[in-house]
Amino acid sequence: MANEIWLFVEEHNGELTAATKELISKARELAEGLGRHVAALVLSPRAAEIANHVFGYGVPKAYIVEDPALEHYTTDAYVGAAAALVKQYQPKVLLTGASFQMRDFTAALAADVDAGLGADCTGVAVRDGQIIAMRPSHGANVINTLGFNSDMVIVSLRRQVATEAQAVGGTGEIVRGQMPQLPQRMKVLKVEDKSNAVNLADSQIIVSGGRGLGSPENYEKLVPTLAQAFNGAYGASRAIVDAGWVPYERQVGQTGKTVSPKLYVACGISGAIQHLAGMRNSGTIVAINKDPDAPIFKVATYGLVGDVNELLPALTEIVEQKTRS
Amino acid sequence: MHAVVFIKQVPQQNSVKITPDKQIDASGIEPIISLFDEYALEEALLQVEKNGGQVTVVTIGGEEQIDALRKALAMGANQAILVNDPALATIGSLDAAKVGAAVVKKLGDFDAIFCGKQSTDDETAVFGPALARYLGLPVLSYVFKVHELDANARRVVVDRAMETTTETVEASLPAVLTTVKDLNQPRYPSLLKIKKAQKADIPRWTAADLGLNPTELAPKVTYLDRVPPPPRPKGSIIDGASAQEKARKLVDALVDTQVI
Repeated sequence: MANEIWLFVEEHNGELTAATKELISKARELAEGLGRHVAALVLSPRAAEIANHVFGYGVPKAYIVEDPALEHYTTDAYVGAAAALVKQYQPKVLLTGASFQMRDFTAALAADVDAGLGADCTGVAVRDGQIIAMRPSHGANVINTLGFNSDMVIVSLRRQVATEAQAVGGTGEIVRGQMPQLPQRMKVLKVEDKSNAVNLADSQIIVSGGRGLGSPENYEKLVPTLAQAFNGAYGASRAIVDAGWVPYERQVGQTGKTVSPKLYVACGISGAIQHLAGMRNSGTIVAINKDPDAPIFKVATYGLVGDVNELLPALTEIVEQKTRS
Repeated sequence: MHAVVFIKQVPQQNSVKITPDKQIDASGIEPIISLFDEYALEEALLQVEKNGGQVTVVTIGGEEQIDALRKALAMGANQAILVNDPALATIGSLDAAKVGAAVVKKLGDFDAIFCGKQSTDDETAVFGPALARYLGLPVLSYVFKVHELDANARRVVVDRAMETTTETVEASLPAVLTTVKDLNQPRYPSLLKIKKAQKADIPRWTAADLGLNPTELAPKVTYLDRVPPPPRPKGSIIDGASAQEKARKLVDALVDTQVI
């Protein structure tokens, strides 16, 4: 029973998240490489129902804790429940997503169960019978290949690093764990959706704006419109977040969000190291800037030199035509 | 109240080099207090100003890290400690949290621990949550607003900034808080305070002072390789007589390569 490859399951509105479907693919790949089995870890007041969804994606087994204390994430409840299962069943690997919640969870769990941890990784694989993980650090200027000396390895994986598993139907075995006694010391008082919330890391297309737009009004007029034409999300450089044009949650870069969409369009962004750190792993990068020597052109797949205030409306119009046709 | 703040000195920007033995070489780059740690320090100072008490600032690292501690003292921290031991030079985030826990235990009485959500060099975001677990304390990570921190009532209420939601969470004290950007406006120290901080006595603690056996901190994670990111494929500039023509050529290229 021991030495399985576990993946942490997250659901949203009754559907497995895309991140979870990627983890299923990755876990399966590791299990094949190591000659082990895949199993899901499900912590939720509706864990059995969610486990059945996971079985539909070909995962044959789920370790679950089903308890009302798991309605909202708290480190105490989630790590307490997971640590008990991990100590009893001793998986070899646990894969999770790399959302803020999961970064908190994996750090605390690794401390509790004495595991080796690869945080916020862009890859995990089997090499010579051992688990290795790839993780960028130093603003994506260093790519580290991690090896592990521990019995158990926990890896939190970024989005868009594996293909999503497909539903194939099927059933599986449920192993129930107990909710441990929790210290009564943490309480979630309120969870509010952010207005205009967007999870940039989940977006396939991102249009970002920078100081070259000239004013917050120009940003507001041009960037969300182009993003909408692409059916994508919109972000910003640190310069204009610090200047108060755009809220922090839209900041792409070293001290903001790290993204790797299929298409990243940088508008009026010079391309400071701090910004490149957050987007240089994007699939295709389009740079639009009036300065032909701007560093952003060094990482761009396509560059447009010119005035963003002319180029963006023209681009929006043509993209709208294409997507309508 | 007694607030303990963990800070780390990092390169101001990350154009670092990788040495042949896989170490990071940040020479020639200005060192600063890691951005998120500066917000943590400011929040501790603000809360102590409200509650009364003192702020202790701690760094785990080499002698060069002393500058970050002096800046923290100039900003208003009451005492600083540098945990400097060659045996700890290459420890990872989890073990750093173990060392941090030993520091906190040696300090004795405390009400809240602050640190940045992650450093801007290693970027693991592991230290704060792991520190809390090693100390058996609640952790409130990704804090962007402190509604209430009452050392007498032993209670803290914060907002946590998640990707698409804001969570308001209450916890008992002592607790560990990790901070994001913009939860306050870190102060600039006065020239007088900077001068005073230059003369401050900063004790150095070793692993032995903390009752730690460095061989028990053997890293669970090793660096098999460290390389610069692969260069991006060479791009091309799209020319055109007008904005419309450039835009049209770009969209055609994106459609041809099946990006859209």
